[in-house]
Amino acid sequence: MSTRRCNSIRSIPVGSAVAVVLALAAQSAAAQDTGMGTDLNFGTKLDPSGWSSLYGCSDAGTSWLTPFEHRTPTGYLYHCPPPQPQGKAIGEWLYSGTVSLGYLGVGGSNEANANWQRYSDWDDGFILDLAHLSAVRPADGSYVDFRGSRLGDDNQFYKFTGGRAGSYRIEAFYREIPNVVSANARSIWDGIGTDHLTLAPGLVPAGSTPAQVAAVSEAAPERRLQVTREKAGVGINYYFNTRWTGMLNLSNEDRKGARPYGGPFFFNFPFPANGGILEVPRPINDSTTNLNTALRFVGSLWRSEFAYSGSFYRSKYTGYDYQMPFGLYPVIPGAASAQLTLGQFSSEPDNDYHSLRVNVSRRLPMNGDLSVTASASRMRQNDDLLAPINCQGSFGIDLSPTGAPVNPYLFNCADWNTTAALSRRTGDLTIDSQMLFARLVLQPAMAVTLRADAKFRKEDYQGNYIAYNPLTGDYGYIAENGAQGSVVPGEIGFWNAVTAPSNITRFRNVLLDKSIAEAHLGADWRLDNYNTLGATYGFTRTDRDHREREATDDNELRLTWVNRRIDWLTLRANYTYLRQTGDPYNLDPYEYTFTTSLPGYVPGAEFPHTVADMRKYDVSSRTQNKFELMGNAALGDEMTVNLSLKGDFNDYDARIGRQGYDVFSTTLQWEWQPSPDTVTSIYYGYERARIRQVNVNEGATTEADDPVLGGASYPLAGLWWADDTQTNHNFGATLDRKIGRARLEASWNYTNSRGVTGYSFASATALAYPDVADLTGNEFPAMIYKVNALNVGIRYPLSANVSVRLFDYYERGTLRDWHYLGFDQTRVYDHRVYTDGGPQDYSDNLLGLTFEVRL
Amino acid sequence: MEPDRSNPHSNAVARLLTYAIVAVWLTVLAALALVWHVSPAQAQQAQDSSLPPTNFGAAENGHSWPKTIAPGFARAAIAINPSAPAARPIGEKTCIGCHSLESSNFAHTVHALGLKAAAQANANAPTCEVCHGAGSTHAQQPTVKGSIISFTKNSGTPVKVQTETCLSCHEGGPRNHWLGSVHQRFDLSCSDCHNPMAKFSAEGLQARQSISETCAGCHRDVRVQFNRRSHMPLPEGAMTCADCHNPHGSVTAALLKTDTVNETCYQCHAEKRGPFLFEHPPARDNCLNCHNPHGSNQSTLLVAPVPFLCQQCHTHVRHPNDLQTPQSLGGSLHPDERIMGRGCLSCHAQVHGSNNPSGARFHK
Repeated sequence: MSTRRCNSIRSIPVGSAVAVVLALAAQSAAAQDTGMGTDLNFGTKLDPSGWSSLYGCSDAGTSWLTPFEHRTPTGYLYHCPPPQPQGKAIGEWLYSGTVSLGYLGVGGSNEANANWQRYSDWDDGFILDLAHLSAVRPADGSYVDFRGSRLGDDNQFYKFTGGRAGSYRIEAFYREIPNVVSANARSIWDGIGTDHLTLAPGLVPAGSTPAQVAAVSEAAPERRLQVTREKAGVGINYYFNTRWTGMLNLSNEDRKGARPYGGPFFFNFPFPANGGILEVPRPINDSTTNLNTALRFVGSLWRSEFAYSGSFYRSKYTGYDYQMPFGLYPVIPGAASAQLTLGQFSSEPDNDYHSLRVNVSRRLPMNGDLSVTASASRMRQNDDLLAPINCQGSFGIDLSPTGAPVNPYLFNCADWNTTAALSRRTGDLTIDSQMLFARLVLQPAMAVTLRADAKFRKEDYQGNYIAYNPLTGDYGYIAENGAQGSVVPGEIGFWNAVTAPSNITRFRNVLLDKSIAEAHLGADWRLDNYNTLGATYGFTRTDRDHREREATDDNELRLTWVNRRIDWLTLRANYTYLRQTGDPYNLDPYEYTFTTSLPGYVPGAEFPHTVADMRKYDVSSRTQNKFELMGNAALGDEMTVNLSLKGDFNDYDARIGRQGYDVFSTTLQWEWQPSPDTVTSIYYGYERARIRQVNVNEGATTEADDPVLGGASYPLAGLWWADDTQTNHNFGATLDRKIGRARLEASWNYTNSRGVTGYSFASATALAYPDVADLTGNEFPAMIYKVNALNVGIRYPLSANVSVRLFDYYERGTLRDWHYLGFDQTRVYDHRVYTDGGPQDYSDNLLGLTFEVRL
Repeated sequence: MEPDRSNPHSNAVARLLTYAIVAVWLTVLAALALVWHVSPAQAQQAQDSSLPPTNFGAAENGHSWPKTIAPGFARAAIAINPSAPAARPIGEKTCIGCHSLESSNFAHTVHALGLKAAAQANANAPTCEVCHGAGSTHAQQPTVKGSIISFTKNSGTPVKVQTETCLSCHEGGPRNHWLGSVHQRFDLSCSDCHNPMAKFSAEGLQARQSISETCAGCHRDVRVQFNRRSHMPLPEGAMTCADCHNPHGSVTAALLKTDTVNETCYQCHAEKRGPFLFEHPPARDNCLNCHNPHGSNQSTLLVAPVPFLCQQCHTHVRHPNDLQTPQSLGGSLHPDERIMGRGCLSCHAQVHGSNNPSGARFHK
């Protein structure tokens, strides 16, 4: 349907990208670290570091002077350093390398399981476990370095780095990352991954029964839905001289695949055998090109940086459509619905982003520093808009079978299925942002540090859009692919001063301008050589256009304490008190976007926008108490114990809405390194998070426009309370042990998460289905995520240059999610069709045998 | 009728080149403007004598260096150790006399590569003492704490001296906001996270094998969140904490690398940038209103299960404000699309914003 006319940046070949960078390198340059962008780690699940598994631990340790490792200033033991092979000479160059090749065998109860496969794409076959090749030329500090891994077609990376220490650095990389979002999808649509999803053979658009759809769904093979990211990038950092450096990085990422999404054809719950809720497998096919470049000056007094970032997003499809299997029926007896066969989604629009940033900093007397940063950015899209509907013929309700003399609820698709039905045909939306940040730090005495900073940031949102159809004179849109107005007369989604003067619908967009002004003032006081106290007061004002509160004010006090009184113990603690208040709460700031604000609107049946006591939590008044304590104990020369306690308690001033969000966590770690031959650790983590909320259902028969809690629309009998508590336990242990010539590496991680959503209600009025009030209990089945992962490997040197490594990775998962209850029986419930079957249990194993060859 | 797709956009490569060239020239022009207004030479002349020198600037006088030597190391100077003001340089060979294993491990780092190349060009160029300061006092009294700049616990070198030593070469850029940052205020040293004495990590001279494991030393509670049901691919090695955070300090309290939470997320989720014809205000305001970026037991990093997540804000009459119970789940008495599967998102799928003219309620 809708392949974009612009997908060209996506198709930039890597070679061109390299050429661009090299061409620009002549006039630009970079430093070793940009501070911008991503892609700072290249690893795999077998070795997240993408490096360390090749080298392990040196028998010799760090120093001949002490048998134990040194500790970090905080008190952690440094690990024993990896042994590094001596380079072999080729001319002036010394090279070394290790290549690990082998075979993976995958087995278990559910090899395809999405949780097991998520970012890994495990499969039987030969692998390039990891390769690391490097060469240096000591004479001038030149070096080249390559790392690569290929565990599967969609799980691989290759990273090249080269340059000259202290002069320049060039990088190039390519990586693919799978994201398996469902492994048990049953699709009633063909064409997955494309922009046309057509019903499988045996189903007829707008003419299939639930039983037929269920049969096709059940017969459909379970399949994987996956989105793969494929990214390539190049970059250069260059020292012009001792003061000036520059950098430039360019990357392009393609995403391809499909994932479960929505598909609305109106409610099914109040209209049995009617409506349609379709979980379609939407296509993902897009690309993003990123460009980051900067020029930096660092002198004894002055520092500055000038940077540009650009991002260019392109989607192959402007939109995608899907066929609707079910017919619709009007609520008017005897009338007929125009049958709708096709639904449609717009893809995310192509967008361009530009950001310029300037920073100037200067050292000041009193060991001070002043830093000022200014940035300006623009996000813009002007993508083609789709027509409001993609039907042919008519949509709505045909009253002619009832003998009605007029047919006001039936509409011509031709009036709405082209972009001529729009007030404009492209998005034409822009968000301009500006930021100014300044920070001053002074140290007037050795024991005292004074800090002050201020920031102002503004977002200007431009692009009024009026949903107006010049062909018909209607304001608004077509709700749910035309389905809403094909079931309920008048609920089509648009307003007309003549034909539908009392319809309430949205007819314009909301421009979300925003500005933030914040300032902090603080001081740190070193009481003695062992204690440092700090206090910071902060104020933040956030102004938001068209939100329930125009302004919110945050007042924050933060206290910190660092203690090293006991030489083997480092304690760090902080406490934060924050109070958010703000302007009077406007329960309906969106009124102006509804047709009730249009001249010619005739009041009809109106409902309150929301209950007056609702306080949306992001703008609600709130009191936060937050603390954190970290203790690090160096026990003897071999052990380290780390304990952390954290609490974050939030109370919201809301009778309706979120009332509380509390998180408490603690972590205990123990590490033991008696020698380079033995390194082991154990940790335990606990976290409990609780959200408390209140809501209110309307009275069963009330159709009044009364927002007051306890009034006609929202009776107190409709109140209900929910309490979601997530409890997490994490255990883990690692062991790295040399046994004779062999080296044993083992790790165990256990995650046990349990979420319980409990509820209570004032009366059956609160319930979606009052008739089951006596059966409904007070909580949902627990959401469970329990994963046991054990990794054991042994490496044995066959010769000086060849080692064999045998490893086994076992993972067992128990997953429960009540959203998917019953989906193992059927994915089709009346006019509801679900593609994803939800998370499943698994018990899978990975056995690997690799040979590591040192070059 | 669908939009006309026959006309390809203007050549994207040319456009990208244009953008790149404009960006480069803008930065060059801006740099020239600064140089013109604030000449480095003038700036350095105005230096307050009480200010600590930087190594790069300190060695401007005196030596004549071949231009072929890499600027990053050629002018590296001996670090100043306030605890041993009378110490004199002794040279690398003396250090290796006792610290041969350290030297052997260090040899595989980029620091060693650069310093030794500089030393080959000029035999007087310091190596070990660039970071550790002049070594004579230490050589004479090796057990006296503070006689040499050391970067370990109880070494006698204050953390402040440690960090200033590193920053004398590494100041600016991502470390520009170190002073006043939360890690600086909590008395962390560079060597809490980095160990330049050996190659422990593929890049970045981390103290542990990766950035994520280095951060996890103190932030294990955050690291284990990535073991939850929905998480970004950090345990799988495809990303790291520093993809979103700058631990050296930034303009945000959470040490984000960009100006806002959303800008940080857009780095990898550019499709969410929009702007959209119809926006969902809390999504535009802050992704964290609905998502926990470090991991969640819900799908897609949500902070609470749908529909309860949505019902914290939505209590409109008719369908959003009903209390759903297990009786609305699949196989129960009243299966209900508002809670089954994707719940609210089954219909309001475009919850991040819709670019469809009929997407006012995120249906399309």
